[in-house]
Amino acid sequence: MKMSTIDTLVCRELTKKYKDKVAVKNFNMTLEKGKIYGLIGRNGAGKTTLLSMLSSQNPATAGVVEWNGENIWENPNALSHICFSREINIGTNGSGLGEMKAKQYIKTAAMYYPNWNQAMADELIEKFELDVKKKLNKLSKGMLSMITIIVAMASKADFTFLDEPVAGLDVVMREYFYRLLLEEYTRTGRTFVISTHIIEEASDVFEEVIMMKDGELLLKENTIDLLERSYRISGLAEEVERMTAGMEVHNREVTGRSKSVTVLLREGQQLPRGFDVTIQPLNLQNVFLALCGMGE
Amino acid sequence: MNEILTQEKSIYLQIAGMIETDILRGILLEEERAPSTNELAKQYAINPATAAKGINILVEEGVLYKKRGIGMFVAEGAKENILERRRSAFYENYVKKLIQEARSIGLNREEVIDLIRRNGDERS
Repeated sequence: MKMSTIDTLVCRELTKKYKDKVAVKNFNMTLEKGKIYGLIGRNGAGKTTLLSMLSSQNPATAGVVEWNGENIWENPNALSHICFSREINIGTNGSGLGEMKAKQYIKTAAMYYPNWNQAMADELIEKFELDVKKKLNKLSKGMLSMITIIVAMASKADFTFLDEPVAGLDVVMREYFYRLLLEEYTRTGRTFVISTHIIEEASDVFEEVIMMKDGELLLKENTIDLLERSYRISGLAEEVERMTAGMEVHNREVTGRSKSVTVLLREGQQLPRGFDVTIQPLNLQNVFLALCGMGE
Repeated sequence: MNEILTQEKSIYLQIAGMIETDILRGILLEEERAPSTNELAKQYAINPATAAKGINILVEEGVLYKKRGIGMFVAEGAKENILERRRSAFYENYVKKLIQEARSIGLNREEVIDLIRRNGDERS
């Protein structure tokens, strides 16, 4: 085994084509062990498809996924280290999933993961006050989210992916989830990839953010670094233009004589001084809106 | 440390600032153990790497120091150290902005000084 491939999950030129649509396109990325990644993108950006290929739940049209240098496809050893706890959708498929009891669903999931920790699953079931005797189609969206969280946590997989884990959870449960995640992370150093639309409240949890747009990787960067090079500049239009000339500019808004733009500094670039403009820092949601909003 | 994290400043700067404030208020004493990265991560629901970045700033400034195998401790003289730095930053952070704003709304120096004096009178 090469040193460079230890404890990594790597995808190269990963592509998924459906009949008339490319869901994921030439995706190149390395996930390191011991980080919490946030995966963000608009609906239909390809997040779920990407995660399902990274966990071998869905075959790629082209490209490869490697765990520590081994192709993960039909590779039980590699897959025992990867867990993708999917969002449970009852309505969309007639597979009879809805008739399954929660307990059975969790039990089935447990069989896939050799490092499954039943004590942890039981503890979370109790904490969440989840009635596991109920059928999935009798559970609320929040309770289904809890089940996906239980499966992800108890899998004890080195690389664990969660797709919209907090969708449907109330604010108290969301807060609890982030703390649970951080506790598990600090104790074990597992890698987590978390997709979410509730960007702002999760952004402090992500060490790195992976942004996807139209099936492609837009950026993958340390969250703090990204925020520290992103600014909203506004003022008299000519002044803003003079200041931002030659910079990476997004999301321009002009109202009368005023103009606002979002700039992303390049490496080594500094904000020019001496201009009569207002400079505001941005949060992750605003950076996302600047890069993936309707104006772009 | 009961403040709420805001979007104004980077989270790690806020973490460093809150630990400093705790030292100034006597919540954390010199030669006492400071909260660990993991404790801060859990308390504020932030990534431990972010918390570590905040702690590292304080180590660089000599406010905290590392005892191997035990954790981070508040340095002797930390309180004085923080006060000195905050005093020297007072001009940059507050006075300069105050003067800038005063100028842009046409208040002259005497008027500003007068306002400051008057504020002092009201409080006494």
